Amino acid sequence: MATTALPQARPYVSTRSRVYDWVTTTDHKKIGALYITTAFLFFLWGGLLAMGVRSELAVPGMQFVDAGLYNQLFSMHAITMIFLFVMPMMTGLGNFIVPLQIGAADMAFPRINALGYWLIPAGGGLILGAFLFGGAPIGWTMYAPLSTTEPARGIDMLLMGLVLLGSSSILGAINFIATIFKLRAPGMTLMRMPMLVWATLVTSVLLLFSMPVVTSGLVMLFIDRNYGGGFFDPALGGNPILWQHIFWFFGHPEVYVLILPAFGIVSEIVPVFSRKPLFGYRAFVLATASIGALGFSVWAHHMFTTGAVYLPFFSFFTFLIAVPTGIKFFNWLATMWRGQLRFDTPLLFAVGFISLFLIGGLDGAFLAVVPFDFMVQDTYWVVSHIHYVLVAGSVFAIFAGLFYWFPKMTGARLDERLGKIQFVLLFIGTNVAFFPQHLLGLDGMIRRVADYAPNAGWTEMNILSTVGAFMIAASVLPFLWNVFITLRGPRDAGDDPWEANTLEWATTSPPPVYNFEVLPPVRSERPLFDLRHGAVEPHGEAYPAIRGTTHGELREDAPEERLGQPVEGHEDASGEPRGITPGVSAEAPEATPGAGRDEPDLEQALREDGEKPTKASEKDKPPGDRA
Amino acid sequence: MRPVRSARLLRSWAFFILAGVALLALGACAATTNQNPTGDADPPNFFPGEVVTEQGALSAGLYGLIFFIAVAVFLVVEGLLIWIAIRYRRRATDTQLPTQTHGHNGLEILWTVIPAIIVTILFVLVLGTLERVQARTGGTNTDGSPGVTVDVTGFQWQWTFEYPQFTGAQGQPLSYTGAGSEGPELVLPTNQTIHFNLTAQDVIHSFYVPQFFYKLDVVPGRINQFEVVIKQEGTFGGQCAEFCGLAHNDMYFTVRAVPRAEFDAWVAAEQEKSQATPEPAPSGAATIAVTSVGIVQGFDPQALNAPADTPLTIELTNADATAPHDFAIAGTPEGDWQGDPDAGPGGSAVYQAPPLPAGDYEFYCSIHPNMRGTLKVGD
Repeated sequence: MATTALPQARPYVSTRSRVYDWVTTTDHKKIGALYITTAFLFFLWGGLLAMGVRSELAVPGMQFVDAGLYNQLFSMHAITMIFLFVMPMMTGLGNFIVPLQIGAADMAFPRINALGYWLIPAGGGLILGAFLFGGAPIGWTMYAPLSTTEPARGIDMLLMGLVLLGSSSILGAINFIATIFKLRAPGMTLMRMPMLVWATLVTSVLLLFSMPVVTSGLVMLFIDRNYGGGFFDPALGGNPILWQHIFWFFGHPEVYVLILPAFGIVSEIVPVFSRKPLFGYRAFVLATASIGALGFSVWAHHMFTTGAVYLPFFSFFTFLIAVPTGIKFFNWLATMWRGQLRFDTPLLFAVGFISLFLIGGLDGAFLAVVPFDFMVQDTYWVVSHIHYVLVAGSVFAIFAGLFYWFPKMTGARLDERLGKIQFVLLFIGTNVAFFPQHLLGLDGMIRRVADYAPNAGWTEMNILSTVGAFMIAASVLPFLWNVFITLRGPRDAGDDPWEANTLEWATTSPPPVYNFEVLPPVRSERPLFDLRHGAVEPHGEAYPAIRGTTHGELREDAPEERLGQPVEGHEDASGEPRGITPGVSAEAPEATPGAGRDEPDLEQALREDGEKPTKASEKDKPPGDRA
Repeated sequence: MRPVRSARLLRSWAFFILAGVALLALGACAATTNQNPTGDADPPNFFPGEVVTEQGALSAGLYGLIFFIAVAVFLVVEGLLIWIAIRYRRRATDTQLPTQTHGHNGLEILWTVIPAIIVTILFVLVLGTLERVQARTGGTNTDGSPGVTVDVTGFQWQWTFEYPQFTGAQGQPLSYTGAGSEGPELVLPTNQTIHFNLTAQDVIHSFYVPQFFYKLDVVPGRINQFEVVIKQEGTFGGQCAEFCGLAHNDMYFTVRAVPRAEFDAWVAAEQEKSQATPEPAPSGAATIAVTSVGIVQGFDPQALNAPADTPLTIELTNADATAPHDFAIAGTPEGDWQGDPDAGPGGSAVYQAPPLPAGDYEFYCSIHPNMRGTLKVGD
């Protein structure tokens, strides 16, 4: 067969120790795994801090910690969860998945990628080490002049740690942008990229514009603290409000950095488990881009009560963000509409995300109502909002993504039963923990307090909230056990256990070092779907709906619609999906690790398609055919 | 096949049922009003508690409207989601692909335009309310008579309230700095325009009275202003809402609203009181000198000695240029004893403490409870 002119790559055999291998790796998949593991460890640590906070707040009076330690706990909880858990976790998932989804062999700059990762443990170590030097009891917002006058040396360590993490994010953002623009497979135009890739692209642009600002700001804080810089000290002619502008100019885009990849993950999962394409792909792309753009014009809505910002402007743009977010919600619903929803754990988490993030989103519209913001700013209402966004949003999406891509990363599917137990615990725990906080805030309970008045009537709600927090903590245990037993079990998930749509499922699980030897043709945003269901007629005929205006109208006459007939052997009797290729089961003997792949079958399918398979090597040519 | 499906159905939908139960339980908790035998406040619910200012009532009214819009959106979307999830779950008979719908421009426009219209209407309402909430007359009532102006100074971790319109004996305005965790009391007249000028000495604080449905940050190097008209008599708790360091959660104050006549009488009495000369030190008092160095450094010396059963004269020198301090003794036979007034930044104060039985006591600054030392009474 002329199409196998590429020399068969040898399985990667390392002569070094495994530790050396992991420390020096530039493989995006290994770096992604490192990111994910590191982030998860910080998630456990941040969760522990949260348990400290919630234990202290359960009932009035000081029981477990004093006010000083309490202030360290809540500050470190927020910093850990935002900078050391959600951000590295999203970067890690992107690192693993994005190059695979666009059919690339690796990130554009593999060594910078490795540097970006290794800055995380370095920065995280500095931030953790702050606890030895008085901690950083200044809140994650680090408002000056509190942050410039607090004597604890831990704050200096925190600032330097965050500068390292910021540098890591900037490097990562540049790398993702270069990768997505330059290394896409032939045929993968921008408007055929999976939604996670779009989300990662927009997120990277947000980081590239916002991270340098706050990183400079952190250095200014450091100078203020140690060399009398006076940037933020009114006694020296500085302005404390300036820090808030710098911080939130980063801080609000940061919110979208934490949530856009979550939107991307959910937008990957919902169509696959509904067996339908994403409804309104183009609208989704536009909504993602406009959320990113609007994200830069709303920062001062965190500063409504400073008395120093122009309220109507920021109120209007904050309201406006509800529109593209609403588009996403309705498009997810429309994607599921008349689909065939299979409630495996990934979809459960995705649906949980949609149902709960809605509350966080509606809360956001409340906060755009400036007179109402005057009441609830800095109260538990805002705490509730941010947790409905980051727990019900980011955390649900992260678990959805982990369950969805775990087979691709390891070759084994996580246990469904344990996954569902975890989901139920997390779903109920999230609501029990965070919903009462709306009511507390509305009643005037302010945040960042170690204690509250016993006669304020807040005790019941706080107990409820603490119970919910411990349920969330308990939900992590089934997950840890799940990962443990799954990794000890057989790696028999197959290349494509979910009947998915995107390129990462066209290679083995886990993928070989070079990712792909042969790429299927990309003629829509669902190349694998086309391969499974559409590749019956050579060229063109099978794809008019895709090549033409697929998005925006339902074409009853399109041949694609006729392709719904069952494919022989595509499903076994139990309804479980098998291999990606018609007639080939996932259990097909697969002996060679590393180089192992369904190659003959894929090639078979491609030959039936009458198309020359795209060689990975073709990507080295000038990309003239990429529209 | 049938039992398998129903079992899966049960598992898949258990979470919705459980979630529903959880939400119902929450609602029940929120709606339950307890009988309050202890006089405690009711647990919070979906609506703000009593709002006592004209401006706050406007804002709270807006909340009601937004709340019902949000509940409507919530019910529509969650209802759709649950219905879709149940109606379109995968069945064993689903061997064919569902119709591959890629999108619908009309629908996209529909669910772009409708939310856009809703948020535009909301924004216009917000603008109108905002203008009225933020309107300022410079402290003048609607009939042209002067209202009351209050200068608020926040510092770690107390408040000072000053009435620049009402002066005491030496021509200085009536001024009240809080002590202990109760903080100062701010006496205000009802149905009068109250003009607040807020500033801070050290870090950012926030002036927050939940019953005003309003808060405004108290920023060093900046004077923030707002005005309210209190429509209801009563005592309302307030608290610093911006995290400001160690004792942030103890930075309370109270607002007591009384009719204008009663307020005027209170002002007159306070002016009278400020003219009274401080009582002389009892004869035979022992003198203790102590310096407050700073919030972090504490007192110097941190260990004091005093004779037993003797009246004490405590001379506090405040070497801290940024914060006032005072002197309090914990665990005296009558409970905590508290010196009054404070020694302002760079100032001093002299206190007369009652005789103490022999023993070890702890003294502290009631403004900064972290500033502590030991007082050894006896031989």
